[in-house]
Amino acid sequence: MKRRDFLKVGSASVASTVFGSVGLLSWAPRAYAQTITKTFYITEGYQTLITGEDVYFRGFSDANGMVNVPGESLIVQEGDTIEITVVNTLSTTHSFVIDGLVDSGPIASNQTKTITFEASKAGTYLYYDKMNAPYNRLVGLHGGFAVMPSGLSNQLYPGSPTFVQQYFWIFNDIDPVWHNAISNNQTPKTAYEPRYFTINGLGARPPGAPGSHDPNIDAMVDTRTALHGQIGDRTLVRILNPGLASQSVHTHGNHMEWLTENGNIRPDIWKKDCIYLDGDMGSLDVIYPFEVPPDSYPPATTGTYPMHLHTEMSQTAGGGFYMFGALTDIYFE
Amino acid sequence: MGMRNRNGGGGGGGGGGTSGACYVYPDSPATPGIVTPDVTFDRGIYMNGSMTMDDGNSVRIWGFTDGSGGGGMGGNSFPSPAIRVTAGQIVHSRLNVQGMMWVHTMHHHGIEPADHADGVGHITWDVDGVYTYQWRPMHPGSYFYHCHTNTVLHAEMGMYGALIVDPPEGPGTLLSGGPTYDVEAFWVVDEIDSSWHNLRWDAGTCGADAGLNTLNPDYFIITGVDGSGTSAMNREPISATVQVGQKLLGRYICAGYHPQKINFGGLTGKVYISDGRPLPNPIEVTELRACSAERYDIIFEPTEPGEYIISTDIIHWITGEVLGTAKTNVIVTA
Repeated sequence: MKRRDFLKVGSASVASTVFGSVGLLSWAPRAYAQTITKTFYITEGYQTLITGEDVYFRGFSDANGMVNVPGESLIVQEGDTIEITVVNTLSTTHSFVIDGLVDSGPIASNQTKTITFEASKAGTYLYYDKMNAPYNRLVGLHGGFAVMPSGLSNQLYPGSPTFVQQYFWIFNDIDPVWHNAISNNQTPKTAYEPRYFTINGLGARPPGAPGSHDPNIDAMVDTRTALHGQIGDRTLVRILNPGLASQSVHTHGNHMEWLTENGNIRPDIWKKDCIYLDGDMGSLDVIYPFEVPPDSYPPATTGTYPMHLHTEMSQTAGGGFYMFGALTDIYFE
Repeated sequence: MGMRNRNGGGGGGGGGGTSGACYVYPDSPATPGIVTPDVTFDRGIYMNGSMTMDDGNSVRIWGFTDGSGGGGMGGNSFPSPAIRVTAGQIVHSRLNVQGMMWVHTMHHHGIEPADHADGVGHITWDVDGVYTYQWRPMHPGSYFYHCHTNTVLHAEMGMYGALIVDPPEGPGTLLSGGPTYDVEAFWVVDEIDSSWHNLRWDAGTCGADAGLNTLNPDYFIITGVDGSGTSAMNREPISATVQVGQKLLGRYICAGYHPQKINFGGLTGKVYISDGRPLPNPIEVTELRACSAERYDIIFEPTEPGEYIISTDIIHWITGEVLGTAKTNVIVTA
């Protein structure tokens, strides 16, 4: 199939609209369980990256006619019934899986399948396509899924430290050679060598770069990604890694309170400025506390700081372009 | 493609330092809110250093000099000269970047100052003259400072040094009211891909493929010394000699990019601090895994005389393959 037959990948603009509707930034607890419905269209397309290279992706998309990488993040409440309808528009077989919660089994080409499951356990999850692992997941078939504890608006798990807002940071790494093989329904045969690194589907665009400060393009300002807060606005960040590279998640300005690792609650909460994020489906939950940066003098209450991966290879795009990789900014307002 | 600076101008940057570079932000303004410091560290830049490996090969190293001359007044030590301060002090790090040294910054990693003291180019500026970073460390522990301009390359080239924050009691005490130590060792473990070490300071910044997405290290070093053989053995303060009954503090800094696993060769230690923050409950360890730029402060109270090999595996960030190992030793005497 020729490139022009494909859809262009879009990401941030759609998702940020959805965030408003699901209340990502201000979760409101309910006294009752609810049935949450969502339809995903498995679609494919090409995205033009900063180097000008067109790279193939597949996504769990909001409509047939767009490609969302990652898919829209969903936040539900413990006890809710979730009905996911997956419309597979592609010629290949796919699936919808949340480890520990649901596995759709194979969804054949041009089939639609509705799966129903209970959000039985609070936590941070990746939904993804487990078929042809890890390839379908790597080329974009993944997204964030969060289950809030029943009736709680400000805790990750009952008794956890509290927060007032929450975000997802979903990291991925991209080897265009692999993506190209997968677009041709072939199994990649080359050694994996990622050349692009994304957070919530985007690389950063430093000041002066094309697309800098465009929230649809620039991970430094993408509303799903960049943290905004005033002093005291404790912020939960749900960190997921569908990519294959392990990473060091590093925040400036404040240390992170490290709550979970790969779905497990840590025995003690450590305050860390770098945290090991496992490759191949690792996850973390952290709280960025938005405290006065402790070593500032005179004490600073406003300012801008980066979050970047300290595995610095991930800060590049196409072998150069430092600062066009997986990083964002944190705004003390 | 792209533009040379935040103003979109096409000029080569002031001070003659940035011709041909992209997405650097040269400036050296006055320090906001500057006061008289308790202590000042002057740092210049060297870009003509070298390190000789055990196989006889020499690898180019860049770093910070000690002294205001900027051109090697303090010699080209690697790692760069340590910064050691006391919690609560107001500190000035005065960076002097001469024109021939292009642009650089000092980021005091783990220290959380005002953003204009954080040394991140895209948020503030890349220093093209003299700039003073003002900060007041509040939490004892091990940190390090490094350049944050084209960081992927500059930190790999060696532009880092230890940064130690002591409690008011001074060296010998790890935390006020907490553990003390008699001997200190510095395990700053890093990997070097020598193919990166002939690149220009601005390699890749305008989008050329400089291979910076792939780090294939061929040397594995500890605190500036080739750690693959015996060079870092019996070489204090990388190695240490302690008597039974004494306490050894190991300051472990993962200064590379790939993950690491450090093994204490049969010794059991207790981690009191990580990343400059005390653990709520110290943990006993015989080995630790670490990701890039993590730090662990570990106290050992050896009970058996002997030689203990402290070995750190450098592990590929994707494949998990052990790429190499850097070693030093601890001698415990009766």
